[in-house]
Amino acid sequence: MTALRAVHLQRRPRVRPWQLVAVPVASIAAGLAVGAVFLTLTGHDPTMVYPAMLSAAFTTWFGFTDTLASATPLIGTGLAAAVAFRFGLYNIGAEGQLYAGAIAASGVALALGEAVPAPAAVTALLLAGVAGGMLWIAVPAAARAWLGTSEIITTLLLNYVALYWMRYLIFGSTSFWRDPTSTNFPQGKPIPASAELAELGLTRVHLGLGVAVLAAVLVTLVLNRTRLGFHLRVYGDSEAAASYAGINVRRLVLAVLLASGALAGLAGAGEIGGRAHALDPQGLALGLGYAGIIVAALARYNPLAVVLVAVLLGGVRNAGTALQSLPGGRVPIAISTMLEGAILLFTLGGELFIRYRLRFGRGQGAATAEDLESVPVASPAEPTTR
Amino acid sequence: MSGQSASGARRSGADAASSAEAPVVEARGVGKVFPGVTANAGVDLAVRRGEVHALLGENGAGKSTLASILCGLYQPDEGTVLVDGRPVTLRNPRDGLARGIGMVHQHFRLVERFTVAENIVLGDRRQPLVLSAGRVRSAMVELGERYGLSIDPDARVGDLAVGEQQRVEITKMLYRGVDVLLLDEPTAVLTPQEADALFTTLRAMAADGKAVVLISHKLGEVLAVADRVTVLRDGRVVGAVAADATDRHQLATMMVGREVDLSPRRAQSPPGVAVLDVRGVSLRPPGRPARLAGVSLQVHAGEVVGVAGVAGNGQRELAEVVAGLRAPTEGTVVVAGRGTTGRGARAARGAGLAYVPEDRLGTGLAPSLSIADNLLLTRPLGFFVDRRTATADARCVIERFDVKATGPAAAVRGLSGGNVQKVLLGRELSDSCTVLVVASPTRGLDVGAIEFVRDLLDERRRGGVGVLLLSEDLDEIRALADRILVLFEGRIVLERAGGDADLTELGLAMAGAGA
Repeated sequence: MTALRAVHLQRRPRVRPWQLVAVPVASIAAGLAVGAVFLTLTGHDPTMVYPAMLSAAFTTWFGFTDTLASATPLIGTGLAAAVAFRFGLYNIGAEGQLYAGAIAASGVALALGEAVPAPAAVTALLLAGVAGGMLWIAVPAAARAWLGTSEIITTLLLNYVALYWMRYLIFGSTSFWRDPTSTNFPQGKPIPASAELAELGLTRVHLGLGVAVLAAVLVTLVLNRTRLGFHLRVYGDSEAAASYAGINVRRLVLAVLLASGALAGLAGAGEIGGRAHALDPQGLALGLGYAGIIVAALARYNPLAVVLVAVLLGGVRNAGTALQSLPGGRVPIAISTMLEGAILLFTLGGELFIRYRLRFGRGQGAATAEDLESVPVASPAEPTTR
Repeated sequence: MSGQSASGARRSGADAASSAEAPVVEARGVGKVFPGVTANAGVDLAVRRGEVHALLGENGAGKSTLASILCGLYQPDEGTVLVDGRPVTLRNPRDGLARGIGMVHQHFRLVERFTVAENIVLGDRRQPLVLSAGRVRSAMVELGERYGLSIDPDARVGDLAVGEQQRVEITKMLYRGVDVLLLDEPTAVLTPQEADALFTTLRAMAADGKAVVLISHKLGEVLAVADRVTVLRDGRVVGAVAADATDRHQLATMMVGREVDLSPRRAQSPPGVAVLDVRGVSLRPPGRPARLAGVSLQVHAGEVVGVAGVAGNGQRELAEVVAGLRAPTEGTVVVAGRGTTGRGARAARGAGLAYVPEDRLGTGLAPSLSIADNLLLTRPLGFFVDRRTATADARCVIERFDVKATGPAAAVRGLSGGNVQKVLLGRELSDSCTVLVVASPTRGLDVGAIEFVRDLLDERRRGGVGVLLLSEDLDEIRALADRILVLFEGRIVLERAGGDADLTELGLAMAGAGA
């Protein structure tokens, strides 16, 4: 009882801009600190491992370009989650939409064959990915718009359908996607070279990165500058206000969810055209769609921040692989997965401290957040910029 | 509005008997600071047995904070609280209850799934391990008879109407044996009839030697029920006066700090052509009772038509049908000669209708969007949104309506109630509209803001706009309306000219007893 009284949360009268940056940075630091405990317990020296991770992921040219390549699909799935979550539409199905995009993209590329010139083939591949992702979310989107069905459940369940369908195409059948020449382990048929995304020099960075960044810029522009974006912000803030203003809410829900699916599908197409060059069920099923949710949450659903966070998270994932061959002793890949989880946990927990602060002592024990909310706040959160 | 019917005789023995003895509860130099806000500063208040003592002040004047300090919910940063002349430290509401001080908050603290009797004994440490339902029941019956607080002990609180839940809260406090009962804006949730019943209860308690502290910003009810009035402004006491030695005008001036004119305003010239024509509108959701049944009304240019009714009797639905947000099952709506029935909010706006909904923050405005963005909400937009014009518009509204905000980029969520309404009115009134639908436009606003809003609506009327004013507050309706309609269970049951509408008659019609 006394312990409970000694510490309590108090709503901040105003949120200052620096807090929006400081809190996530502190959260990441806390996540790394917890990671350090585990590293020490498993017999590794954090002061060795963290610098090694940094160089493997960011401070060497190969490390950094590999990080960018790993970040590319995360930008796509991160944007997919960001555009939907930001407006209260929880598309958990980026994973499945990415598979569907990959299946559509590889199918179209295979069907077009070598004869088509590269620019046309690449465009077709990307558009097919977009279409595949949209198609995969179309039913959940329509069910949400017209029937109010929870998109969380429907999109999530369709992830498994997409996963097993993709596996079936390669492992379970002699489908159009399967390579008939590989006799040992079943593999996807390689797409024609004309449909492959151009790579930057000898690195693994491919055109998909440019496409993903362009998508982020485009999403930002639409959200901030256009009527659709304005209506979405109104809808995201208050559905009643949107209806009051005569905005067609159903159309907005459809637009957001289809765009979200399209972005995830685009990520799938990028993986086919830029990395796998064939429908590769093993190589695609890395949880990129779920990781996108983490990226979007850390980026506070800001599309441009998604790019930065994707690079950060891509680096952590990339370092995990590199750490396995660390000279000072092998660090299991589970460590990087654990770090990813710790950073997410602390960042989501840290969100609380943007709005609330801890107060020690029992002086105002009864003044809970609820009570304080009734106190008029003299100045609103955001000061004017001019 | 209510309570004037109660006679002066109610202020009987109270004053004479107890003015000499020490106050039952007293605040001396009480101060309380919340982050960014000074809620109370140097507040003195003395409440005596046998009196109804009103704490009057605008929103944010510090009334609730003071009451919360007196009941032990907050601890003062400075100053002392005295009970029966002795300084006390109230660490929590339980300490307050132990000293006989209890508070009924604006948001009730009841467990909806529990019965009335269960709620009444909840948290009472005097109860034996095994509850005796019979004892609680007989105590309730006794309290009910003495103070006019009848409630079924076995009813589930969640099934009760708001007015009944309030009676449960009061009974709970009386059952705990409080001598001082603090009530925070108790009439905000009540109909005029329920408010009158509450006032009778409060007078009975005072006559019984208890002290009642009534927090309010409504001048009428304070004058009707209180013996003494302490006025707060900006966290400080402006003055304490006897209720029968003051009047509305003086209290309003003390509260606001300047002269206020709240006298009724009527049309100066005869109304023009009908700008809003509602014919035979019904709204019958399948399988449920009709929300609106054959409502017909006309609003003419330069006229304010008031629709009075207790919440839940169809005003909201009527406003939404007229504004195009709902399609009626039957009937037609014509705005400025154009049929807009069931054609959506945009069609109604296109025909020249503006709508100020009762739910300002959340329906009329998007709370976390900026003032500038909110001004764009109901405007037709091109493919790209022109932010620069929106910012300029916002500056205009802020300046013209004297909105207290840091600038056009301020989120409306952070504004006070009066400023929120100014932004909403600023948007809806600056459009060139011919019909204006406003729901409870002054509800919850300060006296100063009420005056401002009434002036604004009156100015629109004189400019030839037809105004449909929906409210459950008869003061609000009577202050502006040229014609008054009463809506009960989805039907118009009474129509009167604004000038000579009889308060009792309107009140009865609202309760369904008229016609």
